[in-house]
Amino acid sequence: MNDVFNITLIYATIRSATPILFAALCATVTQQADILNIGTEGIMLTSAFVAVLTSVTTGSWLIAILMAIVSGIAIALIMAVANIRYNAHICAAGIAVNMFALAITKFGLQQFLGTAGTFTSPDIKAIPRIHIAALDGIPVLNDIFNNWCVTEVFGIVMVIVLWFLLFKTVWGLRVRCVGRLPMAAETAGINVRRMKYEVMIISGVLGGLAGAHLSLGYSQMFADNITNGRGFMGVAAMNFGGMNPLLVWVGTLIFGFIDSVGARLQAYGLPSQFILMLPYIFTIAILVLAMWRKGRMNEKAKSAL
Amino acid sequence: MAEKKNNPYITLLLTLLLSMVVGAIFMLVLGFKPFDAYVQLFKGAFVGKVNLGTTLQKFVPILLTGVGFAVASKVGCFNAGIEGELYLGAITAAWAGHYLPKMPAFLHILVCLVLAMIVGALWAAIPAILKVKWDVNEICVCILSTYVAKFFTSWLCNGPLSAKTGMPQTPAVHENIMLTQIMKPSQANTGLFIAFIVVAAVIWLLYRSTVGYKFLTVGLNSAHADYMGINSKKVVIQGMMLSGALGGIAGTIEVLGVYGYFLDNFSLNIANDGMLSSMIVWNDIRLVPLMAFFVASLKAGALSMERFAGVPRSIVDTITAIFIIFATMETLFHFLYKKKKTKEEKAAMTINAAPAGSEKGGKKDE
Amino acid sequence: MAAKDDYIVEMSDIDKSFPAVHAVDGGQFTLRRGEIHSLIGENGAGKSTMMKMLYGLYRPDGGTIKINGKVMEHLTPGISIGEGIGMVHQEFMLVNDLTVLENVILGFEPKKGVIINFEESRARINKYVETYHMDIQPDKRIDQISVGEAQRVEIIKTLYRGANVLILDEPTAVLTPQECTKFFEILQELRNDGKSIVFISHKLNEVMEISDRITVMRTGKYIATVNKEDTNTTELAKMMVGREVFLSIEKEKANIGAPILELKDIWTSGEKELSKIRGVSFDVRAGEIVGIAGVDGNGQSELIEAVAGLRKVEKGQVILDGQDITNDTPFEARKAGLTHIPEDRNLRGLNRALSIEENLVAWRFEEKPFATGINRNKKEIRKFAEDLIEKFDIRPTEPTVITQSLSGGNAQKIVVAREVDADGKLLIASQPSRGVDIGAIESIRKILNAVKKEGKGILLVSADLEEVLALSDRIVVMYEGRIMGIVDSEDATSDNVGLLMLGERLDEKEKEVS
Repeated sequence: MNDVFNITLIYATIRSATPILFAALCATVTQQADILNIGTEGIMLTSAFVAVLTSVTTGSWLIAILMAIVSGIAIALIMAVANIRYNAHICAAGIAVNMFALAITKFGLQQFLGTAGTFTSPDIKAIPRIHIAALDGIPVLNDIFNNWCVTEVFGIVMVIVLWFLLFKTVWGLRVRCVGRLPMAAETAGINVRRMKYEVMIISGVLGGLAGAHLSLGYSQMFADNITNGRGFMGVAAMNFGGMNPLLVWVGTLIFGFIDSVGARLQAYGLPSQFILMLPYIFTIAILVLAMWRKGRMNEKAKSAL
Repeated sequence: MAEKKNNPYITLLLTLLLSMVVGAIFMLVLGFKPFDAYVQLFKGAFVGKVNLGTTLQKFVPILLTGVGFAVASKVGCFNAGIEGELYLGAITAAWAGHYLPKMPAFLHILVCLVLAMIVGALWAAIPAILKVKWDVNEICVCILSTYVAKFFTSWLCNGPLSAKTGMPQTPAVHENIMLTQIMKPSQANTGLFIAFIVVAAVIWLLYRSTVGYKFLTVGLNSAHADYMGINSKKVVIQGMMLSGALGGIAGTIEVLGVYGYFLDNFSLNIANDGMLSSMIVWNDIRLVPLMAFFVASLKAGALSMERFAGVPRSIVDTITAIFIIFATMETLFHFLYKKKKTKEEKAAMTINAAPAGSEKGGKKDE
Repeated sequence: MAAKDDYIVEMSDIDKSFPAVHAVDGGQFTLRRGEIHSLIGENGAGKSTMMKMLYGLYRPDGGTIKINGKVMEHLTPGISIGEGIGMVHQEFMLVNDLTVLENVILGFEPKKGVIINFEESRARINKYVETYHMDIQPDKRIDQISVGEAQRVEIIKTLYRGANVLILDEPTAVLTPQECTKFFEILQELRNDGKSIVFISHKLNEVMEISDRITVMRTGKYIATVNKEDTNTTELAKMMVGREVFLSIEKEKANIGAPILELKDIWTSGEKELSKIRGVSFDVRAGEIVGIAGVDGNGQSELIEAVAGLRKVEKGQVILDGQDITNDTPFEARKAGLTHIPEDRNLRGLNRALSIEENLVAWRFEEKPFATGINRNKKEIRKFAEDLIEKFDIRPTEPTVITQSLSGGNAQKIVVAREVDADGKLLIASQPSRGVDIGAIESIRKILNAVKKEGKGILLVSADLEEVLALSDRIVVMYEGRIMGIVDSEDATSDNVGLLMLGERLDEKEKEVS
């Protein structure tokens, strides 16, 4: 089993977890305002495409990330306008933008990158990795900490930023209030709609980062439906962490761990379909576990005995 | 629901027009000719026996999955997992059609249908049970479990059930249980009539039977249903199972009517089209056939649009997706009605039942 | 005392419609600096709507609102708060998961950089706590405090926001008579400090006790504004209802029989810490009305849900006419003879998206003749509905009307009709007259008495102590999920029941009352 559980598994876990981490943060910030962000998947997919497209055309990964963020915000705003201004059911709006993202990226791939299915090219300028020369040759530390992708570091920074924003600032207090009892916010003179728009924009930023990292950091390619349900895994991780960014991060690490272990098990002759299935089954299991625990705690808190 | 949902047909038509205009602008910007594209789209869908037949063939699974999605919505669930139920139903039918001993064709088809329905229903029961028991969001579970279903069927048709032809497919079903083609050389088949019967039965069940009443009352207000002695959790599971069974039927008709075997990854998100056909008409089952037919014709026409007008096929999906985004916006066209809202109308609103087509209005007594 | 024409608020010719109702039609209201002004009227008279417009929650369709002499065009809660208006809503605007402190400062948080400055918040709140002797616990979460404390938090919240005008929407509904007295002292103090208070109520005794002036509204219309000195409760009642009212029904001692409902040491979960039921036992006998008195949120709702099979009984036994129905499903409980008018008719009582007939047949739609197999017989349902509509005088009389357009009174009559017609052994009536007009209250009370005469048991829950006193043969007083005492109606007064509602045993009364 040494091929599976060794020191490189730690970085492999971080690597697999990061795309889901951004998606989970994207869902977390909206959930705090009581908006279930089913559209995470769509935001992520669109911005993954935009990131690749911009990277190829401009040759700059930084501009690519910025454009990915802009497109993420655009998709999030479509959902926000539909839901807040025009009363669309948030889940319906989420499903709708997911379909839209699927269609428009497919179309864009054909139209702008001239291929169907999968796009890979040496022209894709990837997000760089941080090489720390001092760690070269040091056995354990080098395996764990060297050559991280910029966005992988940034993901952990975002966890802390978001936690601070939600639990320490005025804005966070207001968002949490909007999510729990909007009338209380309204009667405190807070503009609830505005807060919801703000939350959706931030979610667009995070979803945009998720997409950019997926197509330029995690991999250097774009394919139809490249997200493959990672947006929903993010939602699951958000539930696991009970909307608290720190716990959400732990959740995504579990996903990353399972994914990495699964990938290594392929060498042991398991049918590839089962390996591919693994993350989805575990996501459902973790989701159920999280909700079961929440229900149990709720029940316990209410019990008179 | 304080707002009155205005005439659904007008809203639908306006939404359609709006999406087509947006699509046209989109095409113009990219240097295509939208008018040509739409003409070719129409021709490709309706002109000629083959084209019309293809539309009808595509219509069947979209209709069934669309009605399936709408049924689940009646009990307050988003069944985003019909694709998975369709796959599992299809492979069940393919298995039953090949491996079960010979029997009269009619009976054999019925067995295939029933087994596929059971498998689809059981698969759909998973998200439903998790939802009612622990409040797990059913959309997430549905989407994730669909991947599982896809990989599982992929393994089956590559492994234990493989036809060993080098292709990822199961062996062909018995010749005599293939559904009769009705518009040769297109692939339209008598599955169309099975679908009509099934949909009629579902509509009857929902609007005329006690089972359907339970679905509606639970979907509209489950706290009330529980208090009245209806076990709302059980009803939600039943609703999802019926929805899943419809996905199973769709899969069976694809196998017995079109392919004759199970082919890995054959569906290419048919259930997505069904889902959007239902969502566009606010999950009103009586309008789903109309919208499913429309979406099917778009799908069928897209190919000739690509061929003759040079517009990529995937733009059709983009336009339908825009359509659905507009359609989910409940109050998009309310400004049209604002002026007309006179005192009489206000008075009428207190007396009249909510209009048909209004999902939440729940008119259901005629 | 208030200066005569020093108006801080002037509202004239206010008009407001909602999709189904004309809520306010020509509303007038003025408020002087330093006065307590009561706004009274029946349910649905438009009192709350008027004040929500002043607070900026609703926008009037017509009329003018002046605050401090300025005409206000587009009020929002933010602007109103800036003008010194504060409102304590009937349903408290407090977020359960957050602490008292966080709730109070919400929207007006003192900052230290981008971080919330909790020290300063605490200091500022303590000032009000001390001035007006309202103790609150700033670090408790909202779901851990009592209703009375929640109300104090609400008042401090408005003061913290710098309110000069306090609008209090039915504030005494959640208080015991004794708490009311203390509450009124606080109001007097606030007035003496120059604050103006709008007191929305329909309890005339309280209004006469506390007000300087009184404005009466009826069905959305302005009726009159009078000085307290120039009026009395009878006159006010007449203005409120438009006719003489005789709510008190002669209480008849019916033939009390064997126990119908026996509760033996019931323990259940609770939505709040103080509403968990911990060891409740009593019985309801045939031919009597047992009323449960208590401040809202002391476990009454949880107890009723547990009896009706809607909440798990964690310990103890529920026995209905000799049959153990503990933790039976609601359906089984109904079959055993339990009928139930739930406290929230819009949530549980009715399916508001369905028609009157569907709601009337809602629990027997699977029975013959309403269904054959799974096929529904619409004709039979219609016939049945028409009968009940006539018998219980439900309006409109058209069975296909969707219930969400009905007035509170008629909606409640549908629930009452369905439950009374079900002809069970026990009728639970939870808040039967909440949010309905006087006419409907009268007829519902008559129906309850008729049911009692038929020899059935009735378990009545009401937050309105007067109602409990008026109808019950025995009164069970609940406090924090326990029974404080059971009082026979002959011995019950609002004083002694009120003390029990406060959690004080009767024998401790002497030393505690001072």
